[in-house]
Amino acid sequence: MDKTKTILSAQQVSIGYTSKKDAIAIANGINLNLKAGTLTALIGANGIGKSTLLRTLTGIQNPLAGTVFLNNKDLNSYNATQLAQQLSIVLTESLPPSNLTVFELVALGRQPYTNWLGSLSNDDLASVEKALQLTQIEHLSAKKHFEISDGQLQKVLIARALAQDTPLIILDEPSTHLDVLHKVNLLRLLKTLAHDAGKCILYSTHDLDLALQLSDDIIVMTKDNLVHDSSKNLIANKVFDTLFDDPNIVFDESKNGFVVK
Amino acid sequence: MQHAKRNSILFIILGICLLVLFVLNISLGSVKIPLQDVFTSLTGGNASKPAWDYIIVNYRLPKAITAMLVGMGLAMGGLLMQTLFRNPLAGPDVLGLSSGASLGVAVVILGSGILPGIAATFFLSSYSIVLASTAGSFVVLLAVLAVAQRLRDTMAILIIGLMFSSFTGAIVSVLTYFSTAEQLQKYTFWALGSLGNLPWNDIFILFVVTVIGLSLSALCIKPLDALLLGERYAKSLGINFKRTRFVIILATSLLTGCITAFAGPVLFVGLVVPHIAKLLFKTSNHKILFWATLLSGGVLVLLCDIFTQLPGSAFVLPINAITSIIGAPVVVSLLISKRKGIFN
Amino acid sequence: MKNLFYLFIFTLLAVTGCKNEPAATSATAEKTTNSVRYAKGLQIYKYSGITVVKVTQPWPDAKDGFTYVMQQKGAVVPDSLKKYTVVQVPVKSVVVTSTTHIPSLEMLGVENTLIGFPGTDYISSKKTRALINSGKVKEAGANESLNTEILLDLNPDALVAFGLNSTNKALNTLEQSGMKVLYNGDWTEQSPLGKAEWIKFFGALYGMDDKANELFDKIEKDYNGALALSQKVAKKPTAMAGALYQDQWYMPQGGSWGALFLKDSGANYLWADTEGTGSLGLSFETVLDKAENADVWIGPGQFTSLKEMTDANPHYAQFKSFKNKQVYSYSTKKGATGGLLYFELAPNRPDLILKDLISIFHPEVLPGYQLQFFEKLK
Repeated sequence: MDKTKTILSAQQVSIGYTSKKDAIAIANGINLNLKAGTLTALIGANGIGKSTLLRTLTGIQNPLAGTVFLNNKDLNSYNATQLAQQLSIVLTESLPPSNLTVFELVALGRQPYTNWLGSLSNDDLASVEKALQLTQIEHLSAKKHFEISDGQLQKVLIARALAQDTPLIILDEPSTHLDVLHKVNLLRLLKTLAHDAGKCILYSTHDLDLALQLSDDIIVMTKDNLVHDSSKNLIANKVFDTLFDDPNIVFDESKNGFVVK
Repeated sequence: MQHAKRNSILFIILGICLLVLFVLNISLGSVKIPLQDVFTSLTGGNASKPAWDYIIVNYRLPKAITAMLVGMGLAMGGLLMQTLFRNPLAGPDVLGLSSGASLGVAVVILGSGILPGIAATFFLSSYSIVLASTAGSFVVLLAVLAVAQRLRDTMAILIIGLMFSSFTGAIVSVLTYFSTAEQLQKYTFWALGSLGNLPWNDIFILFVVTVIGLSLSALCIKPLDALLLGERYAKSLGINFKRTRFVIILATSLLTGCITAFAGPVLFVGLVVPHIAKLLFKTSNHKILFWATLLSGGVLVLLCDIFTQLPGSAFVLPINAITSIIGAPVVVSLLISKRKGIFN
Repeated sequence: MKNLFYLFIFTLLAVTGCKNEPAATSATAEKTTNSVRYAKGLQIYKYSGITVVKVTQPWPDAKDGFTYVMQQKGAVVPDSLKKYTVVQVPVKSVVVTSTTHIPSLEMLGVENTLIGFPGTDYISSKKTRALINSGKVKEAGANESLNTEILLDLNPDALVAFGLNSTNKALNTLEQSGMKVLYNGDWTEQSPLGKAEWIKFFGALYGMDDKANELFDKIEKDYNGALALSQKVAKKPTAMAGALYQDQWYMPQGGSWGALFLKDSGANYLWADTEGTGSLGLSFETVLDKAENADVWIGPGQFTSLKEMTDANPHYAQFKSFKNKQVYSYSTKKGATGGLLYFELAPNRPDLILKDLISIFHPEVLPGYQLQFFEKLK
């Protein structure tokens, strides 16, 4: 596993929206470099543009300027299937009503590799089994996806992304609805996947303290700029002091967290 | 795996039902024909009366085939629409195609009072109603596709389809207001649907178009499965959503448009059969639902057609009345007997 | 308000296209003339052993008509005529589809060849009802849809159908099976004698052309006789017709069958100068404005008593004709199973209708006359 391999990078990227008349930029001059085998958290205040950044990085939205590279190739040059084999996502939106079992749901992750009918080969079945094992949900395989708890469903969706066998996994606020125990377990799982399976994992979150403790790197988005560095360096450079606009919320180094004055 | 075994058994049962109902459909009718004669005629022999041979081979047999094609085609259309729009109440007419067909036919049958010039050009052909119906659905289809290209939001297409339905329905109402009693009756009878009296040529056309429509639908099985997770996940799995949506709409239009042209607007089947299939097989897996819907659709319409004939009576009830009367309680009873439904 | 006719349409295209008229190369020696005088949509040409019947107006605005060749036993059909529907006459079994066909059968004395009818309840004639009750006439369908199976099973020598325009799936199927399907266009005729002359259509079907001519001649004579009487009367009472149906008052147009009778019976129909052969859809106010003081009210739809009318709409009582109890309806005379006599027999007996109307408008002309179709509402 080449730990120094760059999976996802951005060069001078501007993100934002285009309306009929002009382009509204949310952030400019973004440069990023995410490597294999790392777990990176994306932190920022509400409304700062985290979702927009994620959408740009996953190709759902086009950058206003600059280029996003996936495996050193322009993101735009991938066709849908190729992209699906390199990048998988985990979202928080609720699933449409259906009768899918946990196994079937995870198996859907194999679609970029299956034939026109979507039939599972032996290799596909093996990948699905492995994904179930890594997330420790084999005992849930036969259950319907609406019969399990939110936390378990979270794991199922991650297993699905794993089954998709992509070097890059991006998660959009995966810990939002979970209690502390589940949050910690989730991050531990992500960390294990990154280090043991060599995945490059990027996730957005509001839980800064846990991110600081369990992630390798953090991307901090503020109004003025975007910083990507290890937790240690970020704290040393006092980046978190200006994270929120409120002077009463202060970052306490000794506590590794925010304190209200 | 327990599921696979249960599914196999269910498929076998459905297949047998289809066969049995097919034979039953041909055996029953307004004229009492003994079973012996039915089989004799079907296998190329001569029944006791030559009229009976004709009835069985040239009236009941085509009607049974039409019933199967209508059931399969409409049911598949319903399945496609329900998954695409993630709406359990969607049917193949949700795009407004049946309404477009109805408008075309209304213009031909009712419009002679108001639109003599246009109507006259259609009246000459014995295929006037078929052509008008096809033209009507085609126009609506083009409109829906044009709109679909511009819209990213799939729900908006659903609403637009419903608006087309209302619009065409309103025009038809105006036409009925200015028509004579006989014209109105003729239109009403067309609108009630009719599976019988299709010449073999028409059945051939119906067969070919249905096969094409079903083949296109089969191509959608994989994307439909992906869509069970929602559009965003589906796209991340490599599905070309716009193209999939186009193929789904095209397949549904072919199936619904052709069936409506030949048999009139048959209601309820497309809405009900996918639910029956889902409730029987308890799955959302489209590889299974494809066949389950096909077989169930054929079974349901054959059954309904049997009931239109009210054996022994001269009265033939309209197919639409029966599909509604039978379809609704079937779904309700299936929902009640299983505690966990399909909607959660 | 109109009768519920039975719609059966015969495909025009392949089989009986009338487009190519045979040139004079036919083997028919004699050139005869059309023996039909009043009916605009019917032409009958009698040759030896063959009668050619042309239905030129099977439905309004029909571009083409149909030609039928009635072939008697032993006669030869010339090649030029072989492309038309050839029927062996006299037919021994028949299915007709409108109650207006029944009187023709009865007048020719061939009602026992009837083996099926769609909606037998609508038939009011006692003679045919007896046949129905004895099971000889089978129910062939309900309302507008012929039951294909039953028709195929009955297998009549001829099926006399009529229709709205060019497509009817059931008739196509029956025609494909080899059944002789003939279109009767009597319902498109508007002139009183024209409608009645369609008995000749049935005459040809049974090889009884002479009898049919004789029957019609008598009707014509009686009609013209009554007509002459009515022309002598100077005073013309004013008349109105119809009633409300769902907010629209359907008033017969000036050229329609009903209006022509009013004219011939010496009444001043208030809408006689309107053109067209159908009905006008008028508002109540329009009718009240023009006809409030009309002397006589003819044919107020399905009502059978004055109270029924005011129950439906109290404003009917505003009309002078209503106040004077000069309202005459045809809906009271029904058969045992509810079929209206008027719809069944009237088209065939314009002489009786005329006499009825003359008796209503000029009672002094026909003293002692009993109304056959109409009844003064109480």
